[in-house]
Amino acid sequence: MKGNDEPFRDDDVTTRGGDLTRSAVPVAGCGRFPVDLLELAAIARHDRDLEIDPQLEAHLVTCTLCARAVDRFDTDQGFLEEIAAVAASRPVPLESPIFDQRDVRGPSDESEGPIRGYRVGAELHRGGQGAVYHAEQLATRRACAVKMLLGGRFAGEKQRLRFEREVDVVAHLRHPGIVTLYESGLTRTGEPWFAMELVEGERFDEFVRSRRLSSRRLVELFRLVAEAVAYAHRRGVIHRDLKPGNVLVDREGVPRILDFGLARIAEPSGDGAEVGQPVDRAREQDRDRIGGATMAGEFLGTFAYAAPEQLAGDPAGIDSRCDLYALGVMLYECLCGRRPFEGARSIAELVVQKTMSDPPRPRTVDASIDGDLEVIALRLLAADPARRYDTADALVEDLSRHLDGRPILARDDSFVYVVRKNLRRHWIPASAAGALFVTIIAAGVSLFFAYQNAERERVRSVRTLASFQKALGSANPETGAGSSSMGIDDFLGLVEQQVSTELVDEPYQLAGVLRTLGLIHLGFDDAVRARSAIEEAHRVQEDGFRRGEVSAAQFAETEFALARLQFNLQEYALAEATYRRALTLREGALGNADVDTVETMRHLASALRAQQRLDEAQSMLDEAIRRSTYFPDTNAANVIRVGLLHGRATLSAARDDAGAAVAQYEQALEALLEIVPRDDWRVGRTRYNLARMQLRTGDLPRAHANAFESEQILRAKKGADATMTRESASLLATIRAMAAQAGVSIEPDTEGSSAVSGGGA
Amino acid sequence: MDLDRTTTALLAGLFDPRNAAAWEAFDRRYRPILVGFARNCGMKDEGANEIAQETIVRFVEEYREGKYDRTRGRLGAWLVTIARYRMIDQQRRRGVAKVERGESAMIDLDDEQSVSAAYEAERRRGVLREALEELATKTKTDPKTVRAFEMLVYHGLSPAQVAEDLGMSTHDVYLAKSRVAAKLRDIVERLEAEYEESPGDWGAGGRPSARLDA
Repeated sequence: MKGNDEPFRDDDVTTRGGDLTRSAVPVAGCGRFPVDLLELAAIARHDRDLEIDPQLEAHLVTCTLCARAVDRFDTDQGFLEEIAAVAASRPVPLESPIFDQRDVRGPSDESEGPIRGYRVGAELHRGGQGAVYHAEQLATRRACAVKMLLGGRFAGEKQRLRFEREVDVVAHLRHPGIVTLYESGLTRTGEPWFAMELVEGERFDEFVRSRRLSSRRLVELFRLVAEAVAYAHRRGVIHRDLKPGNVLVDREGVPRILDFGLARIAEPSGDGAEVGQPVDRAREQDRDRIGGATMAGEFLGTFAYAAPEQLAGDPAGIDSRCDLYALGVMLYECLCGRRPFEGARSIAELVVQKTMSDPPRPRTVDASIDGDLEVIALRLLAADPARRYDTADALVEDLSRHLDGRPILARDDSFVYVVRKNLRRHWIPASAAGALFVTIIAAGVSLFFAYQNAERERVRSVRTLASFQKALGSANPETGAGSSSMGIDDFLGLVEQQVSTELVDEPYQLAGVLRTLGLIHLGFDDAVRARSAIEEAHRVQEDGFRRGEVSAAQFAETEFALARLQFNLQEYALAEATYRRALTLREGALGNADVDTVETMRHLASALRAQQRLDEAQSMLDEAIRRSTYFPDTNAANVIRVGLLHGRATLSAARDDAGAAVAQYEQALEALLEIVPRDDWRVGRTRYNLARMQLRTGDLPRAHANAFESEQILRAKKGADATMTRESASLLATIRAMAAQAGVSIEPDTEGSSAVSGGGA
Repeated sequence: MDLDRTTTALLAGLFDPRNAAAWEAFDRRYRPILVGFARNCGMKDEGANEIAQETIVRFVEEYREGKYDRTRGRLGAWLVTIARYRMIDQQRRRGVAKVERGESAMIDLDDEQSVSAAYEAERRRGVLREALEELATKTKTDPKTVRAFEMLVYHGLSPAQVAEDLGMSTHDVYLAKSRVAAKLRDIVERLEAEYEESPGDWGAGGRPSARLDA
């Protein structure tokens, strides 16, 4: 099945689902068998008559990569039956048409109003873009507002199409804080109209001013606006023209945002390249409206809320963060009673002000303004969008934090501040908690951001997520800086809850986080929670892996975590099998000499050792050590290299070769002291192991010295109750008893640092 | 996906009474479905054709009047409602009592759900038919490969028979089947995207006015 025999000759086969058609999607299995054979194996599952190579069949049992490739080739029997049924059915007896489009009535009668289906009443408001009328939808007798846009024609079909698409998106927004768009269309002359919910209320700024709202009430109200904006942003809709006049506070005191997304829809110019020329547009509108007579006031007023990048007229530079700027102006105005930039007499001046200078700090205008609110407002008003909040969700979060008396995140550059506030509220270690809260929110936020933006943001969200997982991992006492005496259970519960909500639409990412959480639980000896988290993560990712939606490297990590859990539960045979699967995946995805691959071998060797298969363990470990010579000189690589040395020593111990074990533990300790502090818990563990072997070789003074130091380190780092600490203490007692019995001096001043002086000195 | 072939694009084109191409494309896509649908509802061929054409004309009228709002109901649901009232109306005018429709009536017009399901089934068949046609006419797939597929899938021949008939190896016959199936699946997926009517979205949203006047 190569070359000319290939049944497919066309090259335009799409890549999607193209596994069967020689596409860019790699489906080659492990490479031992040609793709055609794997495909045949997949078909054979349905056609029992087809025989497959028994060698391949046997291979499929053990090789995850090939089994997966076959799964992806699996044919869809139901689909073929559907096809067969259609092919067999009688063709539809079509007659030639008796009507054509000349038989269709025209769009409207002259006698009716400008918008068919509506009775348009009194004018409610007239602005730069058009006029708003009170109207009644005839079919439903529903009162509504109809907005007619003036001067915006949709001449071409492409423009119409775009118009409908945009309307479609906006009309799907359903939020209590957003005025619902019911329907829209074009008048006979091609001008767009919009029918929307009729809301009676007061302008946001007038409401705030006339009610003399307290700061708290103001922030609560403002948060409702921000929530509505966040909702729309998550659905990819940017307002682009937020201002107090577009936010009405209704009779129930709920702010309702008008005209969401309409600024863009109403751009008659079509494609993005021509959109967002607000300066020109403004001139045009202005001419239309008031003939330039009263240009300064209302006109500049509108542009007071526009972000600098909007005023600069660069469409590519505009994203959802322009709405955040507008919110910043609104907040500033409510707090200070004035706009951040005043006195500009032209757009050009305004642009210069907004980009070149900072607004006066609110507290210099009114010293009673809360410091958090000042920070939030200034963050929103940053000239550079990158320095604003990333998303409206982040703004909502900070407003909530302010209302709850928690530290706001806009200050995350001032880490001390966060830690200080956290210390007041939590007794869990403040450094870990501070870092974690920041990253949790950041992860959630940037994921939301990813929904509305392109690949750039997606990459960033993945990166943030990775750092989030890393932050979580750093709280793990087994591999990180945590301590099992810290009351982390509630904290982890909170993290899990928060992450589950944030990542509800990203099951595989969530599984990754669950996996990390599971390993942390494991580090805290909480096998029950570890099991539930890791097994759930495994279930989800295995499923994703079979569908080809989770990468081999990702899934390998979960397999690895599962194996560690099984090892911890002393299910050594299971752990071995799982480690082997992880190893196969990692060798395939990462290469043989990758740090993670070698780490898997080390653990696999431990599982073999635990089953007393010492020779197998030995050769696995030897191979791992051989491969580790290709490691880069990174911290992670060095940690694993030390682990390998430690593993080799432990194996010698298991073989009862105490002499070799002592030498190897000493070597491991020396290497370890090069990369971690002298009081690292792993130093304590290695000294404990070393002491045991020295006891066996009869070197009581050195055994005592190491056991003594080990006990001190472990008590400090793992707590007095930790199993490891207790074992260490008991070893120390044994050594002392034996020394007393034998009359050997083990005075502390003979402390066996000579045995391990090495790199630690 | 060819954006100009999406239902959205067709609808945009329909707005303009002079755009005959849009009309034809729309008619070509939906008339066979509506005819098949009407037949499933018990109409004879002639009546089914009439219903389909009247439905399309009425739809375009309503659409140009701005009554059809895509955001509040699928196009299919709208067409079904128009067609359903037309059929009920026609039966009433012709004095066909409900009971007399007898065995030829496969779908009870009063049962909205099964009416919708019948339309959806017909729409899917339309997509599959279009896919088969595309496979036969537009792709450069080796005729022998397609033939092997047809013999296996349509005529239920055994792979060995097909292999012998076409002078291919059995393995190649299997591969041909698998690859044509994949190709078809691709075409179908693309067409479904162009139709923009996923079965899951049925019944969400509004219905057109139930005007029965002709």
